[in-house]
Amino acid sequence: MKSLPARLVRRILGGILMILVVASFTFFLIHMIPGNPVEAKLAQLEIAGVQPLQAQHEVQAMYGFLPHQPLDVQYVHYMWQLLHLNLGKSITYAGESVTHLLLQAMPWTVLTVTSGIIVSFVVGILAGVIIAVYRERRISNGLTLFSTFLHGIPQLILALLLAYLFTTIWRIFPYGSPYNAALHPGWNLPFLGSLAFHAILPVAAYAISSYGGWALTMKSSVISVLGDDFILASELRGLTSRIRIGYIARNAILPLFTTLTLSIGFMFGGSVFIEEIFDYRGLGYMLISATGNLDYPLMAGSFLIITTAVITANILADFLYSAIDPRIRVQ
Amino acid sequence: MSQATAPYIGTVPPEFRRPSRWATSWRAVTRKPGRVIGVVILLFFALMALFGPLLYPEHLPINAALLYAPPSWAHPLGTDFEGSDVLAELITGSRYVLSAAALAAVFTIGFGTVAGVVSGYFLGRTDTVIMRVTDFILTIPSFPLLIVLSTIWSFGSPIAMGLVLGLTGWGGLARAVRSQTLSLRERGFIEAARGLGLSNIHIMTREILPNIAPYIAMNLLLSVTGGIYAEVGLFFLGVIPFQANNWGVMLNLAFNNGALYTPQSLLYMISPMVCILLVTFGIVLTLDAVDEILNPRLREA
Repeated sequence: MKSLPARLVRRILGGILMILVVASFTFFLIHMIPGNPVEAKLAQLEIAGVQPLQAQHEVQAMYGFLPHQPLDVQYVHYMWQLLHLNLGKSITYAGESVTHLLLQAMPWTVLTVTSGIIVSFVVGILAGVIIAVYRERRISNGLTLFSTFLHGIPQLILALLLAYLFTTIWRIFPYGSPYNAALHPGWNLPFLGSLAFHAILPVAAYAISSYGGWALTMKSSVISVLGDDFILASELRGLTSRIRIGYIARNAILPLFTTLTLSIGFMFGGSVFIEEIFDYRGLGYMLISATGNLDYPLMAGSFLIITTAVITANILADFLYSAIDPRIRVQ
Repeated sequence: MSQATAPYIGTVPPEFRRPSRWATSWRAVTRKPGRVIGVVILLFFALMALFGPLLYPEHLPINAALLYAPPSWAHPLGTDFEGSDVLAELITGSRYVLSAAALAAVFTIGFGTVAGVVSGYFLGRTDTVIMRVTDFILTIPSFPLLIVLSTIWSFGSPIAMGLVLGLTGWGGLARAVRSQTLSLRERGFIEAARGLGLSNIHIMTREILPNIAPYIAMNLLLSVTGGIYAEVGLFFLGVIPFQANNWGVMLNLAFNNGALYTPQSLLYMISPMVCILLVTFGIVLTLDAVDEILNPRLREA
């Protein structure tokens, strides 16, 4: 174990290295796509009557490099553009920069994923404590079964079922857009209310899909803490059960932070389904529509941003963990 | 050698004979009704995938007069948005889904086990490199990765699908196998094998592998569910070209043809999902039995 700043620096450098590897991957991926889309685009522009120089300029703006340059020059150009946060230009959204499109998409994904994680984390932890503390009662068995069942349902099916059951079979929630289109977007109450109301199903889909994991992990963690000496000591000191549960939960929660890092990747990965099904124009939606429309600059950009978000969130979770648990901080 | 031992075995009274593998398996499965149900479900789907497609023509007939028909004798699960029989779609679609998922599980297990055992046995630089790659695989969200890979990879055959799912999915298993190998390599029998001068390959395949085999077998079954989710998801999103009917394609067509907007499509929407959940359910129940068959400590009395 190293000191906190040293660990921080190491983790961040590791994260940057990972992002560079992913960026190189997207660069080579574009070269491996059958039919050479970059040259095809150039030829297409020239046939359309664009001057050769102008066409080259446009293609370079889209992909960050030119097809007839040597590979290493292309690579350097591409990476240099990335360092300036320039991810090229979209093909389907003519003239829009990929960075701009993704910045608009990002809040949808980050807000829904974060709310999903928070809701499932809180509910899952409460359920886990209840299951573990009331082990002998019927409620515990029921909750365990329920959590295992939910844990087994894949995100895709869960989201489809939620959408179908609650918008078509029972018309409780609206379907098809993240807010009521008649309202004026902005910081006004009706709009924010509509936003929250429309977000219930997608956030529920995120939350339910990861709830079971939290509940079951928390259960086993609490059970192992219950055997510790300080719990017996607190019982002998006559502390009320509410205080004791506080003691237990605070210790049992720590191992869950390692699960958190895996969960973040899972949630961002699931955004492709949930945003497709609930029609949220977030990062996952961008990735799918760009892939379907052969908009490779936007596709590469979305993939890069999604992985960057996951890597960043992992580093944050790691530091949250060391901030909460002093035992892994010192030495 | 059979001449030397055969007469001897013949003299052992039947009640002292070690029960055969089949007998112990049979007993483990039949002990709990849940396990029987699980095995029956899996057998049912396996038979469906093997023989089901033979019952139907390659291109299912469509009938524009029967859109979203309610269940009837001719169409037990009703019809879809173009009047095709839903049950026929389910049955013909099972072959690709289940064979690709089974192959995905085999590849995942193969890559994960080799990476985990090699990493945990050799340690040092090999371990560092393999674990770096593993961390990387685990960090990159696999679904977006698969979507991006769909631009350069043809998912047409079950083998191609299984291979790519294996390549992107072995991270978790490699980590778990590595930690099991780490604890095994400190045990006496591994030290003895090394003292005897047995080769590394021999120790890894003959000494370590049999000891983690139960764990691997359990994961083989579990990975099947992961494989089903991933491929059905890919087909649902429509990023890979449809070559034949399968459950993911059904969900995609249902979603994109407005089945989500009408309550009449209930059976059509629900049935592929129910199939996926049933297979998962069958696997979880069977796992319980497999655990007991492979783990002698759970067997007793």
